[in-house]
Amino acid sequence: MARTLAMFTDVSLCIGCRACQVACKQWNQLAPEEPEWTGSYQNHSHFTDMSYRLVRFFEQGDGKGGLTWHMMSDVCKHCAQAGCLEACPTGAIYRTEFGTVNINQDICNGCRYCVAACPFGVVAFNEGTGTATKCTFCNDRIHNGLGPACAKACPTESIRFGFRDELATKARKRVEDLRKMGFKEAQLYGEDQNGALGGLNAFFLLLGKPSIYGLPESPKLPQSNVFVDSLLAIGSAVLVGLGAVVTFRNRGGQGGA
Amino acid sequence: MEPGLLKSADWPLLIDLYFFLGGVAGGAFVLATVAALVDERRFRDLMRVGYYVALLAVIPGPILLIVDLGLPGRFLHMLMVNKPSTDIGMNAITAGPFHLKLLSPMSAGAWALLIFGACAFLAALMVFLEDRGNRRFGLSRTIVGIVGSVFGLFLAAYPGVLLGATARPLFINSHWLGALFLAVGGATGAAAIALIMSILGGQNREALTRLMNFTSLALILEAALLVLFVGTVWMSGSAGIKQALGQLLAGSDSLLFWLAVIVGLVIPLALQFGGVIRKANPGLAALVSVLVLVGGFVVKYVIIAAGQRVLS
Repeated sequence: MARTLAMFTDVSLCIGCRACQVACKQWNQLAPEEPEWTGSYQNHSHFTDMSYRLVRFFEQGDGKGGLTWHMMSDVCKHCAQAGCLEACPTGAIYRTEFGTVNINQDICNGCRYCVAACPFGVVAFNEGTGTATKCTFCNDRIHNGLGPACAKACPTESIRFGFRDELATKARKRVEDLRKMGFKEAQLYGEDQNGALGGLNAFFLLLGKPSIYGLPESPKLPQSNVFVDSLLAIGSAVLVGLGAVVTFRNRGGQGGA
Repeated sequence: MEPGLLKSADWPLLIDLYFFLGGVAGGAFVLATVAALVDERRFRDLMRVGYYVALLAVIPGPILLIVDLGLPGRFLHMLMVNKPSTDIGMNAITAGPFHLKLLSPMSAGAWALLIFGACAFLAALMVFLEDRGNRRFGLSRTIVGIVGSVFGLFLAAYPGVLLGATARPLFINSHWLGALFLAVGGATGAAAIALIMSILGGQNREALTRLMNFTSLALILEAALLVLFVGTVWMSGSAGIKQALGQLLAGSDSLLFWLAVIVGLVIPLALQFGGVIRKANPGLAALVSVLVLVGGFVVKYVIIAAGQRVLS
Protein backbone atom coordinates (compact mmCIF):
# COMPACT_ATOMS: atom_id res chain seq x y z
CA MET A 1 0.00 0.00 0.00
CA ALA A 2 1.22 3.41 -0.89
CA ARG A 3 1.47 6.16 1.72
CA THR A 4 -2.00 7.16 2.93
CA LEU A 5 -3.35 10.35 1.39
CA ALA A 6 -5.67 12.71 3.21
CA MET A 7 -7.63 15.91 3.00
CA PHE A 8 -7.56 18.37 5.88
CA THR A 9 -10.42 20.87 6.06
CA ASP A 10 -9.75 23.80 8.39
CA VAL A 11 -13.07 25.53 9.11
CA SER A 12 -11.31 28.53 10.67
CA LEU A 13 -10.15 29.48 7.17
CA CYS A 14 -13.42 28.74 5.32
CA ILE A 15 -15.17 31.82 3.92
CA GLY A 16 -18.16 29.87 2.55
CA CYS A 17 -17.45 30.78 -1.09
CA ARG A 18 -18.32 27.24 -2.27
CA ALA A 19 -15.60 27.21 -4.93
CA CYS A 20 -14.92 23.64 -3.76
CA GLN A 21 -18.50 22.65 -4.51
CA VAL A 22 -18.30 24.15 -7.99
CA ALA A 23 -14.86 22.68 -8.77
CA CYS A 24 -16.08 19.24 -7.64
CA LYS A 25 -19.11 19.45 -9.87
CA GLN A 26 -17.05 20.58 -12.84
CA TRP A 27 -14.26 18.02 -12.55
CA ASN A 28 -16.61 15.12 -11.86
CA GLN A 29 -19.11 16.33 -14.50
CA LEU A 30 -22.02 16.32 -12.05
CA ALA A 31 -25.18 17.75 -13.54
CA PRO A 32 -26.84 20.85 -12.07
CA GLU A 33 -29.71 20.29 -9.66
CA GLU A 34 -32.83 22.14 -8.61
CA PRO A 35 -31.75 24.49 -5.81
CA GLU A 36 -33.13 23.71 -2.39
CA TRP A 37 -34.12 26.43 0.10
CA THR A 38 -32.58 25.47 3.43
CA GLY A 39 -32.87 28.81 5.20
CA SER A 40 -29.17 29.64 4.74
CA TYR A 41 -26.58 29.76 1.98
CA GLN A 42 -26.35 25.98 2.25
CA ASN A 43 -27.50 24.13 -0.83
CA HIS A 44 -28.46 21.26 -0.60
CA SER A 45 -29.46 20.09 2.85
CA HIS A 46 -27.72 16.73 2.32
CA PHE A 47 -25.08 15.26 0.05
CA THR A 48 -26.74 14.19 -3.18
CA ASP A 49 -25.78 12.01 -6.13
CA MET A 50 -24.71 15.25 -7.85
CA SER A 51 -23.05 17.00 -4.87
CA TYR A 52 -20.01 15.30 -3.39
CA ARG A 53 -18.80 18.46 -1.65
CA LEU A 54 -21.21 20.44 0.48
CA VAL A 55 -20.52 23.66 2.35
CA ARG A 56 -22.63 23.60 5.48
CA PHE A 57 -23.65 26.78 7.33
CA PHE A 58 -24.59 26.88 11.01
CA GLU A 59 -25.64 29.64 13.37
CA GLN A 60 -24.76 29.26 17.03
CA GLY A 61 -26.44 31.55 19.56
CA ASP A 62 -24.59 32.52 22.75
CA GLY A 63 -27.85 32.95 24.69
CA LYS A 64 -27.29 36.73 25.01
CA GLY A 65 -28.47 37.72 21.58
CA GLY A 66 -25.06 37.22 19.99
CA LEU A 67 -24.57 34.85 17.09
CA THR A 68 -21.59 32.98 15.66
CA TRP A 69 -21.72 32.01 12.01
CA HIS A 70 -19.99 28.72 11.31
CA MET A 71 -19.23 27.39 7.84
CA MET A 72 -17.64 24.10 7.00
CA SER A 73 -16.92 22.40 3.71
CA ASP A 74 -18.06 18.82 4.25
CA VAL A 75 -17.05 15.78 2.23
CA CYS A 76 -16.83 11.98 2.39
CA LYS A 77 -14.53 11.16 5.31
CA HIS A 78 -12.88 8.12 3.65
CA CYS A 79 -12.99 6.43 7.07
CA ALA A 80 -10.24 3.96 8.01
CA GLN A 81 -13.10 1.70 9.15
CA ALA A 82 -15.84 2.55 6.66
CA GLY A 83 -19.47 1.56 7.24
CA CYS A 84 -20.28 1.69 3.51
CA LEU A 85 -17.30 -0.47 2.59
CA GLU A 86 -18.12 -3.15 5.15
CA ALA A 87 -21.83 -3.11 4.25
CA CYS A 88 -21.41 -3.45 0.47
CA PRO A 89 -22.49 -7.01 -0.44
CA THR A 90 -21.09 -6.86 -3.98
CA GLY A 91 -17.52 -5.77 -3.31
CA ALA A 92 -18.16 -2.67 -5.43
CA ILE A 93 -16.88 -0.44 -2.61
CA TYR A 94 -13.16 -0.89 -2.17
CA ARG A 95 -10.16 0.72 -0.53
CA THR A 96 -7.55 2.13 -2.88
CA GLU A 97 -3.81 1.81 -2.37
CA PHE A 98 -3.91 5.40 -1.04
CA GLY A 99 -6.32 4.46 1.77
CA THR A 100 -9.30 6.20 0.19
CA VAL A 101 -12.70 4.56 -0.25
CA ASN A 102 -14.21 4.34 -3.71
CA ILE A 103 -17.30 2.84 -5.39
CA ASN A 104 -16.65 0.81 -8.55
CA GLN A 105 -19.54 1.90 -10.76
CA ASP A 106 -19.16 -1.20 -12.92
CA ILE A 107 -19.91 -3.53 -9.99
CA CYS A 108 -22.47 -1.66 -7.83
CA ASN A 109 -25.97 -3.07 -8.32
CA GLY A 110 -27.88 -0.41 -6.41
CA CYS A 111 -28.96 -2.27 -3.26
CA ARG A 112 -28.53 0.97 -1.24
CA TYR A 113 -27.23 -0.75 1.89
CA CYS A 114 -24.24 1.63 1.93
CA VAL A 115 -26.58 4.63 1.89
CA ALA A 116 -28.10 3.52 5.21
CA ALA A 117 -24.77 2.33 6.63
CA CYS A 118 -22.78 5.58 6.31
CA PRO A 119 -22.49 7.23 9.76
CA PHE A 120 -22.23 10.64 8.04
CA GLY A 121 -25.01 10.40 5.44
CA VAL A 122 -22.51 10.75 2.58
CA VAL A 123 -23.38 8.01 0.08
CA ALA A 124 -26.26 8.89 -2.24
CA PHE A 125 -28.26 6.79 -4.68
CA ASN A 126 -28.34 7.91 -8.31
CA GLU A 127 -31.70 7.06 -9.87
CA GLY A 128 -30.29 7.62 -13.34
CA THR A 129 -27.42 5.15 -13.20
CA GLY A 130 -29.07 2.90 -10.62
CA THR A 131 -25.91 2.92 -8.51
CA ALA A 132 -24.61 4.46 -5.30
CA THR A 133 -22.28 7.45 -5.65
CA LYS A 134 -20.08 9.58 -3.45
CA CYS A 135 -16.83 11.56 -3.39
CA THR A 136 -14.09 9.57 -5.14
CA PHE A 137 -11.26 11.64 -3.59
CA CYS A 138 -10.80 12.54 -7.28
CA ASN A 139 -9.48 9.04 -7.87
CA ASP A 140 -8.49 9.92 -11.45
CA ARG A 141 -6.55 13.00 -10.33
CA ILE A 142 -4.65 11.42 -7.43
CA HIS A 143 -3.56 8.58 -9.71
CA ASN A 144 -2.04 11.20 -12.00
CA GLY A 145 -0.17 13.28 -9.49
CA LEU A 146 -2.84 15.90 -8.89
CA GLY A 147 -4.74 16.76 -5.72
CA PRO A 148 -8.54 16.63 -5.50
CA ALA A 149 -10.33 19.40 -7.41
CA CYS A 150 -11.89 20.89 -4.26
CA ALA A 151 -8.50 21.33 -2.56
CA LYS A 152 -7.03 22.80 -5.73
CA ALA A 153 -9.85 25.35 -6.02
CA CYS A 154 -10.03 26.46 -2.39
CA PRO A 155 -8.80 30.11 -2.35
CA THR A 156 -8.03 30.22 1.39
CA GLU A 157 -6.33 26.84 1.73
CA SER A 158 -9.10 25.79 4.07
CA ILE A 159 -9.00 22.47 2.22
CA ARG A 160 -5.56 20.95 2.07
CA PHE A 161 -4.37 17.78 0.42
CA GLY A 162 -1.29 15.69 1.10
CA PHE A 163 0.17 12.72 2.92
CA ARG A 164 -1.84 11.95 6.03
CA ASP A 165 1.05 12.00 8.50
CA GLU A 166 2.35 15.36 7.25
CA LEU A 167 -1.12 16.94 7.24
CA ALA A 168 -1.80 15.66 10.77
CA THR A 169 1.36 17.34 12.06
CA LYS A 170 0.36 20.64 10.42
CA ALA A 171 -3.18 20.30 11.77
CA ARG A 172 -2.01 19.78 15.36
CA LYS A 173 0.23 22.84 15.07
CA ARG A 174 -2.70 24.88 13.74
CA VAL A 175 -4.90 23.90 16.70
CA GLU A 176 -2.18 25.05 19.11
CA ASP A 177 -1.87 28.37 17.27
CA LEU A 178 -5.63 28.93 17.26
CA ARG A 179 -5.87 28.17 20.98
CA LYS A 180 -3.15 30.73 21.66
CA MET A 181 -5.14 33.21 19.59
CA GLY A 182 -8.14 32.71 21.87
CA PHE A 183 -10.16 30.03 20.09
CA LYS A 184 -10.27 27.84 23.19
CA GLU A 185 -12.66 25.31 21.67
CA ALA A 186 -10.56 24.62 18.56
CA GLN A 187 -10.18 20.87 18.04
CA LEU A 188 -9.44 18.24 15.42
CA TYR A 189 -12.14 15.86 14.24
CA GLY A 190 -11.11 12.48 12.87
CA GLU A 191 -7.36 13.05 12.98
CA ASP A 192 -6.76 10.48 15.76
CA GLN A 193 -6.10 7.08 14.20
CA ASN A 194 -6.84 5.40 17.53
CA GLY A 195 -10.16 7.23 17.76
CA ALA A 196 -13.60 6.59 16.29
CA LEU A 197 -13.65 4.62 13.01
CA GLY A 198 -9.85 4.27 13.12
CA GLY A 199 -9.51 7.88 12.07
CA LEU A 200 -10.86 9.74 9.04
CA ASN A 201 -8.74 10.25 5.93
CA ALA A 202 -10.64 13.49 5.38
CA PHE A 203 -10.34 15.11 8.79
CA PHE A 204 -11.36 18.52 10.07
CA LEU A 205 -10.38 21.35 12.33
CA LEU A 206 -13.48 22.61 14.13
CA LEU A 207 -13.88 25.77 16.21
CA GLY A 208 -16.25 24.09 18.66
CA LYS A 209 -17.90 20.84 19.59
CA PRO A 210 -18.70 18.54 16.62
CA SER A 211 -22.42 18.83 17.42
CA ILE A 212 -22.32 22.52 16.37
CA TYR A 213 -21.49 21.29 12.87
CA GLY A 214 -24.10 18.52 12.97
CA LEU A 215 -21.38 15.88 13.30
CA PRO A 216 -21.73 12.90 15.65
CA GLU A 217 -19.45 13.25 18.72
CA SER A 218 -18.25 9.67 18.48
CA PRO A 219 -19.38 7.99 15.25
CA LYS A 220 -19.79 4.24 15.53
CA LEU A 221 -19.04 1.60 12.91
CA PRO A 222 -22.50 0.05 12.29
CA GLN A 223 -20.92 -3.38 11.70
CA SER A 224 -19.63 -3.41 15.28
CA ASN A 225 -23.18 -4.55 16.13
CA VAL A 226 -23.10 -7.66 13.96
CA PHE A 227 -21.42 -10.01 16.45
CA VAL A 228 -23.63 -9.26 19.46
CA ASP A 229 -26.82 -9.03 17.36
CA SER A 230 -26.03 -12.43 15.86
CA LEU A 231 -25.40 -14.01 19.27
CA LEU A 232 -28.74 -12.72 20.56
CA ALA A 233 -30.47 -13.98 17.41
CA ILE A 234 -28.88 -17.40 17.96
CA GLY A 235 -30.21 -17.31 21.53
CA SER A 236 -33.67 -16.55 20.19
CA ALA A 237 -33.26 -19.38 17.64
CA VAL A 238 -32.39 -21.84 20.44
CA LEU A 239 -35.51 -20.80 22.37
CA VAL A 240 -37.72 -21.20 19.27
CA GLY A 241 -36.16 -24.60 18.49
CA LEU A 242 -36.53 -25.81 22.08
CA GLY A 243 -40.11 -24.52 22.15
CA ALA A 244 -40.89 -26.54 19.03
CA VAL A 245 -39.30 -29.73 20.42
CA VAL A 246 -41.12 -29.37 23.75
CA THR A 247 -44.49 -28.69 22.13
CA PHE A 248 -44.31 -31.63 19.76
CA ARG A 249 -42.78 -34.13 22.22
CA ASN A 250 -45.24 -33.43 25.00
CA ARG A 251 -47.42 -36.57 25.26
CA GLY A 252 -50.50 -34.88 26.69
CA GLY A 253 -51.53 -33.19 23.49
CA GLN A 254 -51.99 -29.98 25.48
CA GLY A 255 -48.36 -29.09 24.94
CA GLY A 256 -46.74 -25.86 25.95
CA ALA A 257 -44.24 -25.06 28.64
CA MET B 1 -26.40 11.76 17.12
CA GLU B 2 -27.80 14.47 14.90
CA PRO B 3 -30.55 12.76 12.89
CA GLY B 4 -30.54 15.42 10.18
CA LEU B 5 -27.15 14.29 8.89
CA LEU B 6 -28.06 10.74 7.96
CA LYS B 7 -29.59 9.37 4.80
CA SER B 8 -32.01 6.52 4.32
CA ALA B 9 -31.88 3.60 1.92
CA ASP B 10 -35.65 4.05 1.47
CA TRP B 11 -36.21 0.34 1.04
CA PRO B 12 -39.80 -0.02 -0.17
CA LEU B 13 -42.62 -2.41 0.73
CA LEU B 14 -41.07 -5.10 -1.50
CA ILE B 15 -38.27 -5.54 1.00
CA ASP B 16 -40.62 -5.68 3.99
CA LEU B 17 -42.60 -8.33 2.16
CA TYR B 18 -39.42 -10.34 1.54
CA PHE B 19 -38.35 -10.05 5.19
CA PHE B 20 -41.82 -11.28 6.21
CA LEU B 21 -41.91 -14.19 3.74
CA GLY B 22 -38.35 -15.18 4.67
CA GLY B 23 -39.47 -15.43 8.30
CA VAL B 24 -42.54 -17.48 7.38
CA ALA B 25 -40.46 -19.81 5.21
CA GLY B 26 -37.75 -20.30 7.83
CA GLY B 27 -40.23 -20.80 10.68
CA ALA B 28 -42.42 -23.25 8.73
CA PHE B 29 -39.38 -25.25 7.59
CA VAL B 30 -38.02 -25.60 11.14
CA LEU B 31 -41.41 -26.67 12.52
CA ALA B 32 -41.90 -29.24 9.75
CA THR B 33 -38.45 -30.67 10.44
CA VAL B 34 -38.89 -30.80 14.22
CA ALA B 35 -42.34 -32.39 13.94
CA ALA B 36 -41.00 -35.02 11.52
CA LEU B 37 -38.06 -35.79 13.80
CA VAL B 38 -40.31 -36.22 16.85
CA ASP B 39 -42.93 -38.47 15.27
CA GLU B 40 -43.10 -38.64 11.52
CA ARG B 41 -46.28 -40.70 11.27
CA ARG B 42 -48.31 -38.61 13.69
CA PHE B 43 -47.23 -35.28 12.21
CA ARG B 44 -46.90 -36.23 8.55
CA ASP B 45 -49.62 -33.76 7.49
CA LEU B 46 -47.93 -30.97 9.38
CA MET B 47 -44.57 -31.78 7.83
CA ARG B 48 -46.04 -31.82 4.32
CA VAL B 49 -47.82 -28.49 4.76
CA GLY B 50 -44.75 -27.01 6.46
CA TYR B 51 -42.34 -27.90 3.66
CA TYR B 52 -44.78 -26.74 0.96
CA VAL B 53 -45.35 -23.44 2.79
CA ALA B 54 -41.58 -22.96 3.14
CA LEU B 55 -41.04 -23.47 -0.59
CA LEU B 56 -43.94 -21.26 -1.65
CA ALA B 57 -42.88 -18.50 0.76
CA VAL B 58 -39.24 -18.49 -0.33
CA ILE B 59 -39.88 -18.48 -4.10
CA PRO B 60 -40.91 -14.79 -4.28
CA GLY B 61 -37.86 -13.79 -2.17
CA PRO B 62 -35.20 -13.50 -4.87
CA ILE B 63 -37.68 -11.91 -7.26
CA LEU B 64 -38.63 -9.18 -4.75
CA LEU B 65 -34.97 -8.52 -3.99
CA ILE B 66 -33.89 -8.36 -7.63
CA VAL B 67 -36.75 -6.07 -8.64
CA ASP B 68 -35.72 -3.63 -5.90
CA LEU B 69 -32.11 -3.30 -7.13
CA GLY B 70 -31.04 -0.17 -8.97
CA LEU B 71 -29.57 -2.44 -11.65
CA PRO B 72 -31.47 -5.77 -11.44
CA GLY B 73 -29.27 -7.29 -14.16
CA ARG B 74 -26.36 -7.24 -11.73
CA PHE B 75 -28.08 -9.39 -9.07
CA LEU B 76 -25.34 -12.03 -9.32
CA HIS B 77 -22.84 -9.48 -7.97
CA MET B 78 -24.29 -10.29 -4.54
CA LEU B 79 -22.44 -13.61 -4.79
CA MET B 80 -19.75 -13.19 -7.42
CA VAL B 81 -17.93 -10.63 -9.57
CA ASN B 82 -15.79 -11.28 -12.61
CA LYS B 83 -12.95 -8.97 -11.60
CA PRO B 84 -13.07 -8.46 -7.84
CA SER B 85 -11.15 -5.63 -6.15
CA THR B 86 -8.40 -6.60 -3.75
CA ASP B 87 -9.52 -4.77 -0.61
CA ILE B 88 -13.29 -5.05 -0.13
CA GLY B 89 -13.37 -4.89 3.65
CA MET B 90 -12.49 -6.62 6.90
CA ASN B 91 -13.49 -10.28 7.15
CA ALA B 92 -14.18 -10.63 3.45
CA ILE B 93 -13.64 -14.16 2.18
CA THR B 94 -12.99 -14.48 -1.53
CA ALA B 95 -12.56 -17.60 -3.65
CA GLY B 96 -12.06 -16.97 -7.34
CA PRO B 97 -14.98 -14.82 -8.46
CA PHE B 98 -17.06 -15.59 -5.32
CA HIS B 99 -17.11 -13.52 -2.17
CA LEU B 100 -18.68 -13.69 1.28
CA LYS B 101 -18.43 -10.76 3.69
CA LEU B 102 -18.97 -11.91 7.27
CA LEU B 103 -19.63 -8.38 8.55
CA SER B 104 -22.21 -7.66 5.84
CA PRO B 105 -25.47 -9.45 6.73
CA MET B 106 -26.71 -8.73 3.21
CA SER B 107 -23.82 -10.69 1.71
CA ALA B 108 -24.29 -13.60 4.14
CA GLY B 109 -28.06 -13.42 3.63
CA ALA B 110 -27.72 -13.78 -0.14
CA TRP B 111 -25.80 -17.04 0.36
CA ALA B 112 -28.25 -18.24 3.03
CA LEU B 113 -31.17 -17.56 0.70
CA LEU B 114 -29.50 -19.60 -2.03
CA ILE B 115 -28.81 -22.58 0.25
CA PHE B 116 -32.17 -22.43 2.02
CA GLY B 117 -33.95 -22.19 -1.33
CA ALA B 118 -32.24 -25.38 -2.46
CA CYS B 119 -33.16 -27.17 0.79
CA ALA B 120 -36.78 -25.99 0.65
CA PHE B 121 -37.03 -27.23 -2.93
CA LEU B 122 -35.48 -30.62 -2.12
CA ALA B 123 -37.59 -31.15 1.02
CA ALA B 124 -40.83 -30.31 -0.78
CA LEU B 125 -39.84 -32.53 -3.72
CA MET B 126 -39.03 -35.47 -1.44
CA VAL B 127 -42.33 -35.18 0.43
CA PHE B 128 -44.18 -34.95 -2.88
CA LEU B 129 -42.45 -38.06 -4.27
CA GLU B 130 -43.04 -39.95 -1.01
CA ASP B 131 -46.74 -39.10 -1.15
CA ARG B 132 -46.86 -40.47 -4.67
CA GLY B 133 -45.58 -43.75 -3.22
CA ASN B 134 -42.36 -43.73 -5.19
CA ARG B 135 -39.93 -44.36 -2.36
CA ARG B 136 -38.87 -43.25 1.13
CA PHE B 137 -36.16 -40.65 1.58
CA GLY B 138 -35.63 -41.31 5.32
CA LEU B 139 -32.08 -40.19 6.04
CA SER B 140 -31.51 -37.86 3.11
CA ARG B 141 -34.72 -35.96 3.94
CA THR B 142 -33.61 -35.66 7.56
CA ILE B 143 -30.26 -34.24 6.47
CA VAL B 144 -31.92 -31.75 4.12
CA GLY B 145 -34.32 -30.89 6.96
CA ILE B 146 -31.55 -30.18 9.46
CA VAL B 147 -29.34 -28.19 7.05
CA GLY B 148 -32.39 -26.28 5.82
CA SER B 149 -33.47 -25.54 9.39
CA VAL B 150 -30.14 -23.92 10.22
CA PHE B 151 -30.34 -21.69 7.15
CA GLY B 152 -34.08 -21.17 7.68
CA LEU B 153 -33.43 -19.75 11.14
CA PHE B 154 -30.70 -17.60 9.59
CA LEU B 155 -33.12 -16.37 6.93
CA ALA B 156 -35.69 -15.39 9.57
CA ALA B 157 -33.16 -13.55 11.74
CA TYR B 158 -30.65 -11.88 9.41
CA PRO B 159 -32.86 -9.00 8.25
CA GLY B 160 -32.91 -7.74 11.84
CA VAL B 161 -29.12 -8.00 12.12
CA LEU B 162 -28.85 -6.29 8.71
CA LEU B 163 -30.91 -3.34 9.95
CA GLY B 164 -28.86 -3.22 13.17
CA ALA B 165 -25.74 -2.77 11.01
CA THR B 166 -26.92 0.54 9.54
CA ALA B 167 -26.39 4.03 10.93
CA ARG B 168 -30.14 4.67 11.43
CA PRO B 169 -30.69 5.70 15.07
CA LEU B 170 -33.64 3.35 15.66
CA PHE B 171 -31.69 0.33 14.39
CA ILE B 172 -28.06 0.88 15.47
CA ASN B 173 -28.94 1.51 19.11
CA SER B 174 -30.48 -1.85 19.88
CA HIS B 175 -29.05 -5.35 19.63
CA TRP B 176 -32.41 -7.13 19.65
CA LEU B 177 -33.80 -6.75 16.12
CA GLY B 178 -32.36 -10.04 14.81
CA ALA B 179 -33.73 -11.97 17.78
CA LEU B 180 -37.09 -10.21 17.44
CA PHE B 181 -37.39 -10.94 13.71
CA LEU B 182 -36.57 -14.59 14.37
CA ALA B 183 -39.36 -14.87 16.97
CA VAL B 184 -41.78 -13.23 14.52
CA GLY B 185 -40.62 -15.76 11.90
CA GLY B 186 -41.33 -18.66 14.26
CA ALA B 187 -44.80 -17.37 15.15
CA THR B 188 -45.80 -16.53 11.58
CA GLY B 189 -44.36 -19.79 10.21
CA ALA B 190 -46.47 -21.77 12.67
CA ALA B 191 -49.49 -19.60 11.93
CA ALA B 192 -49.13 -20.15 8.17
CA ILE B 193 -49.11 -23.93 8.65
CA ALA B 194 -52.03 -23.78 11.11
CA LEU B 195 -54.05 -21.62 8.74
CA ILE B 196 -53.67 -24.06 5.86
CA MET B 197 -54.26 -27.11 8.04
CA SER B 198 -57.41 -25.64 9.53
CA ILE B 199 -58.72 -24.84 6.05
CA LEU B 200 -57.89 -28.33 4.74
CA GLY B 201 -59.61 -29.91 7.75
CA GLY B 202 -59.18 -33.67 8.18
CA GLN B 203 -57.88 -35.53 11.18
CA ASN B 204 -55.37 -32.89 12.16
CA ARG B 205 -56.80 -31.83 15.51
CA GLU B 206 -53.79 -32.85 17.57
CA ALA B 207 -51.20 -31.33 15.25
CA LEU B 208 -53.26 -28.16 15.09
CA THR B 209 -53.48 -27.90 18.88
CA ARG B 210 -49.75 -28.30 19.22
CA LEU B 211 -49.12 -25.71 16.48
CA MET B 212 -51.31 -23.22 18.31
CA ASN B 213 -49.46 -23.95 21.53
CA PHE B 214 -46.17 -23.31 19.79
CA THR B 215 -47.53 -20.10 18.30
CA SER B 216 -48.32 -18.86 21.79
CA LEU B 217 -44.82 -19.64 23.00
CA ALA B 218 -43.33 -17.78 20.04
CA LEU B 219 -45.66 -14.83 20.65
CA ILE B 220 -44.57 -14.61 24.30
CA LEU B 221 -40.94 -14.56 23.13
CA GLU B 222 -41.83 -11.94 20.51
CA ALA B 223 -43.51 -9.74 23.12
CA ALA B 224 -40.52 -10.00 25.46
CA LEU B 225 -38.09 -9.15 22.64
CA LEU B 226 -40.24 -6.21 21.50
CA VAL B 227 -40.05 -4.79 25.04
CA LEU B 228 -36.28 -5.36 25.09
CA PHE B 229 -35.92 -3.67 21.68
CA VAL B 230 -37.86 -0.56 22.64
CA GLY B 231 -36.31 -0.50 26.11
CA THR B 232 -32.70 -0.67 24.95
CA VAL B 233 -33.24 1.96 22.26
CA TRP B 234 -34.79 4.21 24.89
CA MET B 235 -31.96 3.61 27.38
CA SER B 236 -29.31 4.53 24.80
CA GLY B 237 -30.34 8.19 25.24
CA SER B 238 -29.65 11.21 22.94
CA ALA B 239 -32.09 13.37 21.02
CA GLY B 240 -32.07 11.59 17.67
CA ILE B 241 -33.03 8.32 19.30
CA LYS B 242 -35.89 9.84 21.28
CA GLN B 243 -37.16 11.35 18.04
CA ALA B 244 -36.92 8.05 16.16
CA LEU B 245 -38.61 6.16 18.98
CA GLY B 246 -41.27 8.84 19.29
CA GLN B 247 -42.01 8.34 15.60
CA LEU B 248 -42.67 4.65 16.28
CA LEU B 249 -44.52 4.85 19.59
CA ALA B 250 -46.38 8.14 19.36
CA GLY B 251 -45.79 9.64 15.89
CA SER B 252 -47.34 8.94 12.52
CA ASP B 253 -46.25 5.28 12.66
CA SER B 254 -47.70 4.65 16.11
CA LEU B 255 -51.17 3.66 14.91
CA LEU B 256 -49.80 0.73 12.92
CA PHE B 257 -47.37 -0.19 15.68
CA TRP B 258 -50.03 -0.50 18.35
CA LEU B 259 -52.35 -2.20 15.88
CA ALA B 260 -49.64 -4.82 15.35
CA VAL B 261 -49.22 -5.24 19.10
CA ILE B 262 -52.94 -5.64 19.75
CA VAL B 263 -53.88 -7.68 16.67
CA GLY B 264 -50.73 -9.76 16.46
CA LEU B 265 -49.89 -10.27 20.14
CA VAL B 266 -52.59 -9.34 22.66
CA ILE B 267 -55.68 -10.83 20.99
CA PRO B 268 -54.07 -14.16 19.93
CA LEU B 269 -52.55 -14.64 23.38
CA ALA B 270 -55.80 -13.70 25.11
CA LEU B 271 -57.73 -16.20 22.98
CA GLN B 272 -55.15 -18.89 23.65
CA PHE B 273 -54.99 -18.39 27.39
CA GLY B 274 -58.75 -17.92 27.52
CA GLY B 275 -58.75 -21.62 26.69
CA VAL B 276 -60.70 -21.14 23.48
CA ILE B 277 -58.08 -22.48 21.11
CA ARG B 278 -57.10 -25.40 23.31
CA LYS B 279 -60.10 -27.25 21.99
CA ALA B 280 -58.58 -26.77 18.53
CA ASN B 281 -61.64 -25.38 16.85
CA PRO B 282 -60.36 -25.09 13.27
CA GLY B 283 -62.35 -21.91 12.65
CA LEU B 284 -60.87 -20.12 15.63
CA ALA B 285 -57.40 -21.50 14.90
CA ALA B 286 -57.68 -20.04 11.40
CA LEU B 287 -58.77 -16.68 12.80
CA VAL B 288 -55.89 -16.57 15.28
CA SER B 289 -53.45 -17.60 12.55
CA VAL B 290 -54.59 -14.77 10.29
CA LEU B 291 -54.21 -12.31 13.18
CA VAL B 292 -50.68 -13.57 13.94
CA LEU B 293 -49.70 -13.35 10.26
CA VAL B 294 -51.07 -9.82 9.87
CA GLY B 295 -49.52 -8.72 13.16
CA GLY B 296 -46.16 -10.28 12.22
CA PHE B 297 -46.04 -8.45 8.90
CA VAL B 298 -47.15 -5.12 10.32
CA VAL B 299 -44.69 -5.15 13.23
CA LYS B 300 -41.76 -5.70 10.84
CA TYR B 301 -43.11 -3.17 8.35
CA VAL B 302 -43.69 -0.42 10.89
CA ILE B 303 -40.30 -0.78 12.62
CA ILE B 304 -38.53 -0.57 9.23
CA ALA B 305 -40.70 2.35 8.08
CA ALA B 306 -40.19 4.36 11.28
CA GLY B 307 -36.44 3.67 11.30
CA GLN B 308 -36.02 4.68 7.67
CA ARG B 309 -37.88 7.98 7.83
CA VAL B 310 -35.36 10.81 7.58
CA LEU B 311 -36.02 13.07 10.54
CA SER B 312 -35.56 16.82 9.87
